[in-house]
Amino acid sequence: MLKFIVRRVFWTIPVLLVVIFLTFMMMRQIEGSPFRHSERAVPPAVLQNLERKFNLDKPWYLQYAYYVKGVFTLDLGPSLVLRGQDVNDIVKTHFPKSIELGLYAFLFAIFVGVPLGVAAALRHNTAVDYSAMFFSNVFHAVPSFLIATLMIYFIALKAGALPTSGWTTWQHKIMPSIALGFGPMALFARLVRGTMLETLQQDYVRTARAKGLRYRRVVGLHVLRNSLIPVITAAGPLLGYIITGSFVIELIFNIPGIGGYYVTAVSARDYSVVMGLTVLLSGLVIIANLVVDILYGLLDPRTRDARI
Amino acid sequence: MRKKTLWLSLALLISSMALIAAGCGGSDDNASGTTTGAGGTEAAKQVITVNWGTEPPSLDPGLATDVTSSNILLNIMDPLVKLDKDLKPQPSAAESFETSADGKTVTFVLKDGLKWTNGDPVTANDFEYSWKRTISPELGADYAYQFYGIVGAQEYNSCDPKKDQCAALADKVGVKAVDDKTLEVKLTNPQPWFTQQVAHHSFLAVNKKAVDQFGEKWTEAANIVTNGPFKLAKWEHNSAIDIVKNPDWRDAASVKLTRVNGRLIADGLTAVQAFEAGEIDVLQGGLPTDEMSRLKELPTYQQYPGLGTYYEGFNVKNVPDVKQRRAMSLAINRRSIIDNIAQADQLPATGFTPKGMPGFDVINPNSPWMPEEGDIEQAKQLMSEVANPVKDLTFYVNDSPGHREIAVAIQSAWKQELGISTTIKQQEFQQYLEFLGPPPNKDVDVYRLGWIGDFVDAINFLDLWTCKSGNNNTNYCNPKYDEVIEKAKLTEDNDARYKLYAEAEDIMFGENGDMPTIPIYFYTYTALERENVKDSYETNLLDQVDLTKVVVTE
Repeated sequence: MLKFIVRRVFWTIPVLLVVIFLTFMMMRQIEGSPFRHSERAVPPAVLQNLERKFNLDKPWYLQYAYYVKGVFTLDLGPSLVLRGQDVNDIVKTHFPKSIELGLYAFLFAIFVGVPLGVAAALRHNTAVDYSAMFFSNVFHAVPSFLIATLMIYFIALKAGALPTSGWTTWQHKIMPSIALGFGPMALFARLVRGTMLETLQQDYVRTARAKGLRYRRVVGLHVLRNSLIPVITAAGPLLGYIITGSFVIELIFNIPGIGGYYVTAVSARDYSVVMGLTVLLSGLVIIANLVVDILYGLLDPRTRDARI
Repeated sequence: MRKKTLWLSLALLISSMALIAAGCGGSDDNASGTTTGAGGTEAAKQVITVNWGTEPPSLDPGLATDVTSSNILLNIMDPLVKLDKDLKPQPSAAESFETSADGKTVTFVLKDGLKWTNGDPVTANDFEYSWKRTISPELGADYAYQFYGIVGAQEYNSCDPKKDQCAALADKVGVKAVDDKTLEVKLTNPQPWFTQQVAHHSFLAVNKKAVDQFGEKWTEAANIVTNGPFKLAKWEHNSAIDIVKNPDWRDAASVKLTRVNGRLIADGLTAVQAFEAGEIDVLQGGLPTDEMSRLKELPTYQQYPGLGTYYEGFNVKNVPDVKQRRAMSLAINRRSIIDNIAQADQLPATGFTPKGMPGFDVINPNSPWMPEEGDIEQAKQLMSEVANPVKDLTFYVNDSPGHREIAVAIQSAWKQELGISTTIKQQEFQQYLEFLGPPPNKDVDVYRLGWIGDFVDAINFLDLWTCKSGNNNTNYCNPKYDEVIEKAKLTEDNDARYKLYAEAEDIMFGENGDMPTIPIYFYTYTALERENVKDSYETNLLDQVDLTKVVVTE
């Protein structure tokens, strides 16, 4: 197991290098300059000063080399547009807010989605099952920004029950977390239902029942545990979904997370911010997948043996 | 059996949803602050919450380039001059200012008792230091070119610190603190608009101690040192910027507001919702176009004329016949575009210099080629006289909301009335700017752009269309036009200069005008303002608000 983890961690280095290289090249390929913010033409002298200041007057391979060095010394460089702010500052201040949002959404998804799926599977082909599945199909299909807009309209504007936007008190955090969590929640519900139905048909479940174990115990111990594997498989990529989905949610609810920076940085051609955040997010997805693989091994010994 | 349960569950679900909706829709009254009759008495609590809009890229006067920063800076710092309602420069931190007989030297004398928030006095040296800092090549300031009218500024800004002796060039820049109170500025030639220009935030002073101590981080709330009517109390990036009254400011007694809580909501719709939920009192700008028709009916809706022009530019090499260009302008119904698409009561353009500009009545060419509702008859007539009409055009716009819709309206007018087919191509803004040029892109036949003034003189608009202008993407080059502009730049007397501007406008849009562009409308700024501040919250033609004048009424 340890060997497996170490090997996976080492593999992240070349993956990160490729990610940096591709992002670097793609950012250079799109037209537009980080130093032109409006219709005003920038005088040549001013442009030169700016390029000199941010090393953009150097050849691309040197810029790339500086950047890679920066990443591995944990210095993501200064923003080209938000003058006076470093990418490190941006990450430090804003990333925790995105994580918080993602975490709440994830918890909402798990704590609502899994029971919903379990209930649907146990009451297979009943009204409970149908309404749970109808509910989750609808929410799986409806995009989070629509849910967010509807929530703001009905709950914040019409009922005045919660604030419309911001990220300061716990009241501010309810709607964004739920809006972001609905999609994954529906996904979890359907996944759990499907695998549980399958597991319930398994021979060992019948055996367990036959040897006299109580139904609750069979479900709680054997069925649920084995049904959670696909949930964990889905959780890794879902992290990516939650992060990208949060970009939109952050915009709608005006949450000062990393998403807003990412989007504005791309359109402002703020190379260093785009690169820094891409590196950060890829690192995160790599780690998430690693954790999933480890959990996998813990829950299902068969996969562990195959991997080592 | 199966079918029955399905219907049952559906019915259950629908009824539960209806219940939820009913619960949410229960209270219909919008929470809209306490409002009594306009012009009421002063409220006890002088605190408002505004939306500043997007996160300001910088609060360093040398580096700031956008409206948000400008608005905040002009309220936390003390400019030498402020523009009054008629856009005339009035002394602010300066006691007086004087231009020499030859128009090339401007002397500012500072008021007594100016203080930084760290207790130090504000001196002329602070201004000399700040201006030279902004001009310096090391700072990399976008707006360094605002100073190019000062002797030696362009040379210093263009020097390469690795090769040249920049320090020597810095000493030659024509900004000098003669004593603690007197700032002397030498200009390369007479620039009658220079005193207006000094009202721009680039010309604010910064505190050298704070800059030296904190470097690029000096603008953070914990570090910043300011000298204006308000102080920066909090800057949570991308979330909030709060400012509070500075009790030690020279004229603090006249400032009513004790605190302005500022939110940074970038998305227009989110901001409107926050306003309607009563979370913010003033929403300046950024109202979403699709909501305009509804918002315009609200009692809180406000609009102000703006110093900006929305136009379609020609690549005159690709559309060479002036008659065709005139016909294309005549075919456009500006009134309909404003009423149906732009929807903020913009003014139909009559030339390039926008209304509100000092001297507008003289400068305005009242172009015969731009009737408000178009003139289809004349357009067709003119088009029929074109020897080699270009009937297939590519029309470029950027992809922000509204531009495509305007382009489509124009496209259909050109197609129906003149038989010109156009292909509209959209690009994302940053890419678009680079694509247009300079040098002007050969693929472009027509393009859309706007121009928002940075200072209050028509030269800021008319200089665009000179042959060498970096903002001229039309290939238009008329030596006679350049000559008039050059002459205007050297003319100090306002009335005489306005006449020259009028001549320039006439060359472009008059009876025999060249029509290098088709101006569509002059911008307006829109806002939502709670009724208890509506009377005193005003923005000027440059979209700036003077918070020292705002009073909350009961």
